[in-house]
Parts: sequence; structure tokens; C-alpha cells
Amino acid sequence: MNAVEQEAGEVARGLRRRDPDLIDYLIQQYQYRLFRYLLMLTGNREEAEDLFQETWIRVLEKGHQYKRRWKFETWLFSIARHLAIDLRRRRQPQSLDALLQPDGTNRPLELEDNAAHSAFEQAFQGEEAASVTTALAHLPPSYREVLTLRFHEDMELEEIARVVDSPLSTVKSRLYRGLATLREWLKDIYV
Amino acid sequence: MNEDIHERALQLIDKMQVEGLTAEERDEVETHLESCAQCQRRARETELALRALRSAVPRFNAALALRTQMQVRVRAREIYENATRMRALWVSCALSWILGVVSAPLVWRGFEWIGHRWALSRAVWMTGFVLFWVVPAVVAAAAIAWQQARGAVTSDE
Repeated sequence: MNAVEQEAGEVARGLRRRDPDLIDYLIQQYQYRLFRYLLMLTGNREEAEDLFQETWIRVLEKGHQYKRRWKFETWLFSIARHLAIDLRRRRQPQSLDALLQPDGTNRPLELEDNAAHSAFEQAFQGEEAASVTTALAHLPPSYREVLTLRFHEDMELEEIARVVDSPLSTVKSRLYRGLATLREWLKDIYV
Repeated sequence: MNEDIHERALQLIDKMQVEGLTAEERDEVETHLESCAQCQRRARETELALRALRSAVPRFNAALALRTQMQVRVRAREIYENATRMRALWVSCALSWILGVVSAPLVWRGFEWIGHRWALSRAVWMTGFVLFWVVPAVVAAAAIAWQQARGAVTSDE
């Protein structure tokens, strides 16, 4: 058993015991990554904060379902994703079909361009924040999501497919399209 | 034919970032980039886009993590207390069932005696015996259902 598996085993045992000290540690460990993922997924800071809290409560409640053969972040992000979908389903029940097929023309996880731009502008910092926020605001959430998992989280394509609960071919197609759209937007900005 | 070569190079530039390349593909794209300014520009734009994406760091409110840790502890306490209550309820149900089974012949005779003493019909004292058995179980089941419903509501909140 290697160190990663051993750590996953300890996490699984702690989650089965609903050990709050372990969850404190996990929150500290994954806070930025989870928040960044939720922000990319929702495009809304308040929603991302609500979902952040809900995700950790769900980790406590459903911890016994975590299996040590999974990477903890893969399980964590898929919980967060399900909660984000549930939240949207409660708020916009009419767009449920579109929500489950995020590549469709209707994009319920996406905000209006101005609102999304403003949300990302408030949420991100960094050298090229202004350009990136503009580009991100124009990307469909399903593209933002896979781009974050691939290029921020450095997840393998199979892990991304597990998180987003989609076939590998869909993940690849979203990544290629997302990358092309991002490049197009940033190209215009830098010119 | 020339278009095809560029098209292939552009695909490999994206594939390099998304899926990674084999050694042969890497050689192929590198050789092409050495002599093609247009594809070089595309490769640079791709790298720039990804660098910009990676440089985007969310502003994180540290109070959110503290608030969440506190909420998790409160919820953990609730779950623990709920589980303790449920355990006590199940133990008392099990004890009451064992006691009921053990004492059944005695209770049957008791109801029979009361029936004779008060000149009740057989159906009446037998119904009394059945109720004596059923009512505590129904009350216990209702209590457990209520506890579980309360737990579910607290969990939703």
C-alpha cells in the first residue's frame, strides 16, 4: 500500500467515524480548490459560498459512502457538483433538462454575461485577472468546469469523467471546445 | 495537402495540452513548429491562454472556512445525539419485545381470568389481549418514525 492509498484509508476511516477534527483538516486542505471549482461551476460568488458549506455538511453526513480506492478530491467535487445541480433544480425547475445536458443551447448554470463578468471580477485576483474574467464569463459553465478540473486541478481525464458523470468522449470534446473558446477570447484581448 | 499538415499540427497543439502526446506526435509537432510561424503563433496563444487561466486565483474568504468548520461540528453533534436517542429507542423496543414474548402465556391467562370474572365475551378479552400486544409496538414505531422524520428535517435545514 503506497502513501496515497494509506492516506485515503485514514480519510475513509475518519469519515466513517464522522470525526470533526478530520473534517476540519480536510476543509483547511481543500478550501481553495473546492471554492474555485464551485465558483467556476456557478459563476456566482454567493452561490459558491453556500454550496461550499453545504458540501462539507454533506461530506460529514455521507462520509461512510467514501471508498478509499477513490481520490478524495474526485469524491468531494462530485458531491459539490450534485449539490450545485440540486440547487439549480430547486431554483429553476423548468430548466432541468437543459441542466442535465449542459452543452445545449440553454445554459442554466450560466449567468448573463455582465453578471458573470462582474462575479468573476470580484472573485479573482492575479496578474491577468481582468482578461481572464472576461474570457471566463463568456465560456459555458460546462467548459469552465472541465477546464478547471484539467488545468487547475491537474486531474486525469478519467477522473474528470467521474466527477462530471459523463463519458470520456464528452469530457474531451468539452475540453477541446473550451480551450478553443478561451484562446479566442484571450487572443482578442491581448491583440 | 499543405492545409492538412497545418490542420494536423493545430490538432496536436491542443492535444498536447488536453490529452498529452506520444513521443512520435511530439517529434512531429516540434519539427513542424520549427518551420511554421502560423502554427507557432497558435501554440503561443494556447500557452498564453492556459497561463492566464492558471493565474486566476479566487479571492477566498477565510471566515467562510471557519464558519463551515463550526457548522460541521454543530451538525456532527446533532447526528451523534440523534444516533444515541435512536439506539436507546431500539434497545427499549427489543427489551419490551423479549419481555412481551416471555410473559405472553401469563398475560393470556390474566386476560382469560378477567374475562371470566367480569363475564366478558371471549371476543372482548381476546381483543384486549391483542391490543395489549399491538399498542406498545405501534407507539414505539410511531416514536421511531417521528425521530427519523425530525432527523431528516434537521438534516435538510
